[in-house]
Amino acid sequence: MANNTQHIIIIGGGPAGLEAASSLGTAGYKVTVFEKEEQTGGKLRLWYKLFPGFRLSGEVKSYLANGFKMNPPEIITNAEVVSVMPENNHHKVILTDGQSFKADVVLIASGFQVFNAEKKEEYGYKIYDNVITSVDLEELLKSGNPIKTLAGKTPEKIAFIHCVGSRDKKVGNIHCSRVCCITGVKQAIEMKHNLPEAEIFNFYMDMRMFGQNYEELYLEAQQKWGITFIRGRVSEIAENIDGTLQLKAEDTLSERPMKMNFDLVVLLVGMVPTSRSEAIGRSAGLAFTSGNFLATLDTHICQNETNTPGIFVTGTCKEPLSIAETLTDARAATVRIMSWLRENELKLNN
Amino acid sequence: MVLEGKKRVWEDYQKEIADDHYFYVRSCIRQTFFPGSETTFLKIMRDDLGKDVFEDARHTTCTGIGYHTDIVPLETTMTVIARHFALMTEAGYTNIIPSCVTSFGLYTEILDTWKHFPETEAKIREYLWKATKREFKIPENLVHTSDIIYKFRDQIKERSKVSLINKKTGLPLNVVEHIGCHYAKMFPVSGIGGAEFPSVLSGMIESWGGSVIDYPERRHCCGFGFRHYVVMANRGYSVSNSKKKFESMRPYQPDFIVANCPGCSMFLDRWQYTIAELEGITYDNNGMGIPVLTYEEMAGLVMGYSPWKIGLQMHQVSVEPLLDKLGIKYKKDEKYLGARDQNIGEPQKPQFLIV
Amino acid sequence: MGKLYDRLNQDIRFIEGLNGCMNCGVCTAICPAAEFYHYDPRVICDTVQSKDEKLIEALLRSETIWYCGECMSCKTRCPRNNTPGFIIMALRKLSQELGYFTDSEKGRQQFAIKRTIGENILQSGYCVNPDIVSPQMHPEQGPVWDWISRNTPEIMEKMGSNYKQKGVGGLRTIAPEVLKELNQIFEVTGCKTMFETIEKHSKHKADELGIEISPEGIGNEYFMTVYTENNGTHND
Repeated sequence: MANNTQHIIIIGGGPAGLEAASSLGTAGYKVTVFEKEEQTGGKLRLWYKLFPGFRLSGEVKSYLANGFKMNPPEIITNAEVVSVMPENNHHKVILTDGQSFKADVVLIASGFQVFNAEKKEEYGYKIYDNVITSVDLEELLKSGNPIKTLAGKTPEKIAFIHCVGSRDKKVGNIHCSRVCCITGVKQAIEMKHNLPEAEIFNFYMDMRMFGQNYEELYLEAQQKWGITFIRGRVSEIAENIDGTLQLKAEDTLSERPMKMNFDLVVLLVGMVPTSRSEAIGRSAGLAFTSGNFLATLDTHICQNETNTPGIFVTGTCKEPLSIAETLTDARAATVRIMSWLRENELKLNN
Repeated sequence: MVLEGKKRVWEDYQKEIADDHYFYVRSCIRQTFFPGSETTFLKIMRDDLGKDVFEDARHTTCTGIGYHTDIVPLETTMTVIARHFALMTEAGYTNIIPSCVTSFGLYTEILDTWKHFPETEAKIREYLWKATKREFKIPENLVHTSDIIYKFRDQIKERSKVSLINKKTGLPLNVVEHIGCHYAKMFPVSGIGGAEFPSVLSGMIESWGGSVIDYPERRHCCGFGFRHYVVMANRGYSVSNSKKKFESMRPYQPDFIVANCPGCSMFLDRWQYTIAELEGITYDNNGMGIPVLTYEEMAGLVMGYSPWKIGLQMHQVSVEPLLDKLGIKYKKDEKYLGARDQNIGEPQKPQFLIV
Repeated sequence: MGKLYDRLNQDIRFIEGLNGCMNCGVCTAICPAAEFYHYDPRVICDTVQSKDEKLIEALLRSETIWYCGECMSCKTRCPRNNTPGFIIMALRKLSQELGYFTDSEKGRQQFAIKRTIGENILQSGYCVNPDIVSPQMHPEQGPVWDWISRNTPEIMEKMGSNYKQKGVGGLRTIAPEVLKELNQIFEVTGCKTMFETIEKHSKHKADELGIEISPEGIGNEYFMTVYTENNGTHND
């Protein structure tokens, strides 16, 4: 059993923070989680079902909650961290209300922010009536309400647009958000479940099917569900007089520009760093990646350490990750924190 | 469509526009096809708004059409424009306002290039000195003349005699706005409202009582394409791009089209005639086509200027249906009179297009 | 890295225009030329970034590079901040410098542009003025333009222009000393050389084809040929 007096503060009560809290708690540490929202769960709360197996996101949420049976951490919600200051042999964590807490280790699990699709002006999000994001679609699917256009029509033709806010210097994001490809496949199938008659198109640049069963789901989308995949990034959307959407892309495989009309367009929005993570990182003197995520000490061998001893990072505050990867990463962070604390202890004793 | 969303976009693209003391540079195409527009612009600026607009007889073309047809090298165009900066500097001005969108785009591009490649600016200074013994300062403020009218749209409204409202129905006129590609597509931050939802013309239209049509091919090029109009063999490109726009705007039944680019306003006018004669198609319900105005002409009408004084007789698509809607009085038989109101003959009637 | 690519890479438009293309196709999707001609700006980027000398030479001799209308709509959208339109401008410049432009019907048109716009700039100080928009060469301008052409001084006066007069104003006569400055700029900055190059290769091509070409003006068979010729295969 670990030394109970050692205090670990985790910033962020999303999947990464909760998974790390449960592992570290089980190992006997005193853990405090600060969650800025009223509830824990992070962005998982926005999702209805998860790729690739259509599991309800709620099941993962329950798993995370059940992790706290032994030595549950203290979870403080509505608590937003503004800065982390190294102080002697520990760190001072300061909240927006001015309260400060001492920690031997700080684990930043402050997550990501959904790309604001309004920035892709040419897609007309929040301007055109029937352009929604993948996050909006999850909410719609979760509600169980029928999928309709704003005018109340059942959509017959639906487009999913990949790479919205990702791999795009124009909006300042050169990185790939990784999860949007498979989300597009998953949501296209869910759309087909709801609207079997609808024609569904995915406009993609590359299909990055890296995870277990991703490629299989892509194949299923094509074979079983008849979803069409067009290799071409969407250049612009315009609204027709009847509220349908005119979309322009190049079918790069046939080398022809194309113009198609859709009833509904779903923008697969990417993951971007949060301004909160940035503020925390700056206060603690952490390094950042070129894309403004929190940088780790080493890309291959120190993926949870930062340039400041005692401050660790996990989850999507350092790079876009899926839920599965996030949980794995949180566990990895736990091991690195425990090793670090043990090493320090040994050093002190010697 | 949600207008609030567009307004959020517009907020991101507001630019500094000088308040007075402008060095004015004319447009080759504007002077040739709709010369009354430049006259109207100057009249509004000087007589109505009391602004100082200076013109130097020694300015020339910027070579824009030569540059974009690739017979004129970049260094040449840069040096010709540098000469304009020199004339501006010599006259004691710091704010330069090209009347042409191609020029505006080039001026903007050149200043941007010089920022990234200071050695190029140094080379151009050498060229200019060698060729003309002139030196120049970089303008403090570079905007297109449509930006100026946009800036003063509310002052124009205060002095206006006409609103963009259908006198008979009391409803706002439906207006298609067309922004020249080189206004903001190359440098979105240089255009009011940006490249996707430019508000330079829609701001004028709304201020003066009209309603803006947003149609699917709004952003598409008029089809000038430089070499594609200049060379006869290529004009199919030019007309087919305009046609694509007309087809897309037709369901909205526009009362008129307004453009901020000298080329675009001319092409959108002439190609309607060409399409009517070739295919028997017009994009209105009366076989007359959709009237096309320059923004200076639109401002002139709003200010109560006489349609034939500002040059609306130089359009191939008749403007009379629009004047009627606006409740503007005009004398049809004075339309084609000469400078001293003498008869100089009239244009022939097209075969298909009703005038 | 081959010679042609190196020459392209000396053009600042090429340097600004090509930052690595990922072949997404947003440029082609909204390109007016791609919709009208057999043209694909994405493929142009991909070809030049291959640095394959043979492919680049083929491009310089092709019809393809002359299809772009330089509207620069591609610049707005590219997620890698490329500008295919700038790449095209660098290719066209090199094609003319090497004389490859006369290999294609669309490229040969540079001669007609030089003899009209090019000469007009140096002679009048304008790219375009009413004198070079003749109703015969511009039937699409319609009867109103025909009427204007027949009454230009009268109508221009009515419009408040200063047509062919001294002083400021629209369509004024550009003073000889100003034209001299313009000519000197054209000399010093290489435009005269470019004009001579276009002339030289066009003359060579005209002789090769056995088509009459005159040293000046547009009243020659070669001008009319390149100005009007359209083999009708450009949209296939």
